Amino acid sequence: MKRMLPILTAVLILAACSPKAKDPLQCSELPDIYPDYISVTIPVGIAPLDFVLNGAQGLDVKVEAPDGTILESRGKGATRFSERRWATMLEKAAGDSLKVSVCGLFEGKWKAFKSFPIHVSKDGIDYGLTYRLLEPGYEIYSHMGIYERELSSYGQRAILENTQFDGCVNCHSFNHNDPRRMSLHIRGSHGATLLTEEREITAYNTKTDSTLGFCVYPYWHPSGKYIAYSTNNTRQGFHVQEDKLIEVFDLDSDLQVYDIENNVVITAPQIKQKGIWESFPAFSPDGRTLFFTSAIQIEIPGELPQSKYNLLKVSFDPDTGTIGKDMEMLVDAASIGKSISFPKPSYDGRYIMYTLCDYGTFPIWHHESDLWLLDLETGQTRPLDEVNSEDTDSYHNWSSNGRWFVFSSRRDDGLFTRLYIAHFDENGVAGKPFMLPQRDPGNYYENLFRSYNVPEFVTSPVPFDRIRAQKAIDSKDRVPFGFRWSD
Amino acid sequence: MSKSEKIAAVAMTALWGVAVYCFFAFKYPYHIHFQEQYQLFEFTWDYFLSISSVPGGLSDYLGRFLTQFFYYAPLGSVLMALLLGVVQLLSFCIVCKDRRSLPAYALSFLPSIALALFYCDENALGGAAVAIALALGAAALSFLGRKRFVLELVLVPIVYLICGPIALVYVLAVAIREGRKGLPWTCGMLLLLAISPYIASLLVPYPLGRLYTGVHYYRYHNIVPGLLWISAALSLVPALLSGVKLKKNLIPGICTYVLLAGLGCFLVLRSADNVKEEWMKYDFMVRMQMWNRIMYSADHRNPDNPKTVSCLNLALSKANRMADSQFEYYQNGPEGLIPEFRGDYTNPIATGEIFWHLGMVNTAQRYAFETQEAIPDFQKSARCYKRLAETNIVNGDWAVARKYLKALQNTLYYRKWADETLSLMDGNSIFEKREDLRSARDRRLREHSFLFSDTEMDSMLGLLKVEHPENRMALDYLMAWCLLRKDLDRFVQCIPLIDAPSMPKAYQEALLLRWVLTHSDFEGLPSYISPVHARRISSFISDFQANKSSEYMQKNYGDTYWFYYYFRYRSLNDLARDNEKNASDTYGRPYSGGL
Repeated sequence: MKRMLPILTAVLILAACSPKAKDPLQCSELPDIYPDYISVTIPVGIAPLDFVLNGAQGLDVKVEAPDGTILESRGKGATRFSERRWATMLEKAAGDSLKVSVCGLFEGKWKAFKSFPIHVSKDGIDYGLTYRLLEPGYEIYSHMGIYERELSSYGQRAILENTQFDGCVNCHSFNHNDPRRMSLHIRGSHGATLLTEEREITAYNTKTDSTLGFCVYPYWHPSGKYIAYSTNNTRQGFHVQEDKLIEVFDLDSDLQVYDIENNVVITAPQIKQKGIWESFPAFSPDGRTLFFTSAIQIEIPGELPQSKYNLLKVSFDPDTGTIGKDMEMLVDAASIGKSISFPKPSYDGRYIMYTLCDYGTFPIWHHESDLWLLDLETGQTRPLDEVNSEDTDSYHNWSSNGRWFVFSSRRDDGLFTRLYIAHFDENGVAGKPFMLPQRDPGNYYENLFRSYNVPEFVTSPVPFDRIRAQKAIDSKDRVPFGFRWSD
Repeated sequence: MSKSEKIAAVAMTALWGVAVYCFFAFKYPYHIHFQEQYQLFEFTWDYFLSISSVPGGLSDYLGRFLTQFFYYAPLGSVLMALLLGVVQLLSFCIVCKDRRSLPAYALSFLPSIALALFYCDENALGGAAVAIALALGAAALSFLGRKRFVLELVLVPIVYLICGPIALVYVLAVAIREGRKGLPWTCGMLLLLAISPYIASLLVPYPLGRLYTGVHYYRYHNIVPGLLWISAALSLVPALLSGVKLKKNLIPGICTYVLLAGLGCFLVLRSADNVKEEWMKYDFMVRMQMWNRIMYSADHRNPDNPKTVSCLNLALSKANRMADSQFEYYQNGPEGLIPEFRGDYTNPIATGEIFWHLGMVNTAQRYAFETQEAIPDFQKSARCYKRLAETNIVNGDWAVARKYLKALQNTLYYRKWADETLSLMDGNSIFEKREDLRSARDRRLREHSFLFSDTEMDSMLGLLKVEHPENRMALDYLMAWCLLRKDLDRFVQCIPLIDAPSMPKAYQEALLLRWVLTHSDFEGLPSYISPVHARRISSFISDFQANKSSEYMQKNYGDTYWFYYYFRYRSLNDLARDNEKNASDTYGRPYSGGL
């Protein structure tokens, strides 16, 4: 009995620490929770959506599945749902909704809020996300890295961090969310573009005498034989007035397609036009079209607000690596005084999601930036009002089945970019997005002084050997890109 | 040791402690402050885990814990004296009890002296000395165990985890102690220590080389701090040499101590970087807004480093003395007014203060942010967090400001300020109660939107003045910018912006200079120019044309703009070339941020 006493005491203390709502005052308001998970649509394989009730000293939450299964969480801070029981509950609720009832303790009195649903979609989601984490800074960078997050848990793993070498970890890209092949840029004194195939890593020097500079903004061809890159002379300026901080712009930019097998970079006069800036290439899912943005060159910095990028396409022959001459305008954003960035075709080929802002090519620093959707079948384009916010909504990517997309948003505080995932149904309508779940989201996001950047879905863990990568980066050996003009 | 030896030993340690204290408290106090401002020690579990999860992390954590008290230089000096004293005592503790003698005790000051030299470098981190102390402490502790060899072996990876590669001190101390009989165990310990970094490299994202040389001993990771390793090696000297038998110990011990302590004091004083200390002093005074003390210091010794001069100029402007007295002090061109942005962690922090006081809040925010990002060992800065909270409050980005303030609430010395600020924000009375924030808010540009440009500083300063005529500092800086660049035409263009009742001395001198450069006599000279200055420039011209030595000219005209114009900064041709180069530079700066 003596041995049991400490355990018993601990249990009693824990029980005492978990307040249970007593005679709560019923109210008709929805609870003010963070993150806002009210009426969001989630996939089955997502980690528990823990949340905090703003201003409450205690929390008593009940989640009810359609089959009557109940999951409870009581405490003083955030909810803490059991991962195992949550996963089971979602499986049972697929295609239906969970009912969440929240009671909060405010100044010694319990309040029961109006319950709200969380819709559980039958559409599966990929294994995880990869993203870069870095401070939303200006010119100098501190600690940063590329990380992988398993979506069914809270586990985050570093793929590569700049503690391992001198430099900056830059854009990464996978072929159709397949992590076995990755393109990853390293900037700084050890600059290189790393191409990985399973665990093999090759470091390339992507700058050639015939192209503008290093390769930027990669997009894989579905065959895995090519990667489309832009090459940009990117600079930045700093606003002296308060409403904007940074303006990032290109002084010049072109497009090119890298032929992996033959190690040559291919370009054509029509995507390397003088007086025209081309950027953000993306292949269509059939690999026969190259989408990109394009703007008429203007004087920097005086005419910067007149820098308007449109969405165009050009044909591409994957058999010969030939870039067509049949350029076509898809969205004339300039005509409505706007500018397009990050065109991302859905993997079924029906839609292109892009970011629209007032001007320029770097929407993350524009509060007005929103996500838009182009229906390639009808030619109709519309703002994705279902997911857009008052603040910046920008970089985005599709899940491999096209039923989910992840995007970065500054809606939380206007500066630190956070990730949101939204469902996308067969009619092209998005559900309410949910913030990437964390175990104690209030504390986690409050203490996170880094921004999420370039989120990409991955279908399985990334087989990346960081020690081998570090050796490749530190080594002076770089495989040079060859060059040829398109026929 | 005999009683008299013990008394001598206590006196030696006390004397050394006092010497270390005096050095840091009186000779090097601003290095102490400097260390503190480049870290943000938070009393949170996450912070502890983030630091202690790499080899040497616990030492680093303890070092940072101590460094937070450097907010007060006298307290920081006491802690430095204690830390170095502990290293000395532990260096003696690892000597076998039967071999302990006063000469060995005197030798135990060697690592402490080397560490004092090491800490003359502003990039030496507190965790380094803690690591040596802990490694020595572990060695001393291991001698107490019964199954000693097993304990000693087991401690190797633990000491490596706590102290990093300085754990070598522990292994070698044990090896010395055990002698030949413990050779197999010593080999085992060395092997274990050798593979520990390799195992660590599989677990933490650091290159193997850094895990062998230490992650957080020195602010720059690509530099292996030689003095630290010398100190580590010297910490074993007492144990190594303690076997030498002497007939008498007291006198040789005292002589050794006097020799070492004298040499140590000499070397430490020689290693002290007075130029950096002076700049750190000015930077500290700017941070604490001690404007009068800055001018008092400059009167005592005229600073000549551009960074220091820029602090002095800020103080002159804050005290409304710039227009009159600027050229009474050494001036080294526009770089001494608003230093050009450099991507390191020391330069932007002080320059950011200038922009903050001018009302260029976004620029002050950028400089604070960049300072922090440039800290080579990826630490955060409490000073920068405070400034970032302020700039975000002023800009209306309160959600971001709250993030910084909440982090500051986890600190010891900034908690009170953060609590008060948050409470004022909650009560929506922040601008009523905080004059500095209100003033910064009111000085911001509202009507003119443009991108910051180093080469168009005069235009930016002019707009600040035009939008807010009460912004006298903007006018001070605009006029000083023109004068320091020797751009008299631009200076004259800006004269209408002056609304002072009388023309300040430096401006009168500049106008007189331009007058004599464009006129043949003083006929028609504006009435606001004093005849006293007119007579003086005549005398200056005569002496100048008579090719009087620069020493003579400085003695007689060193407080005038004319002396600056002809004898300071660069030649007018250099200036013209610089302007041309600036104009042809590619617009904008490289970008490394996120999409």
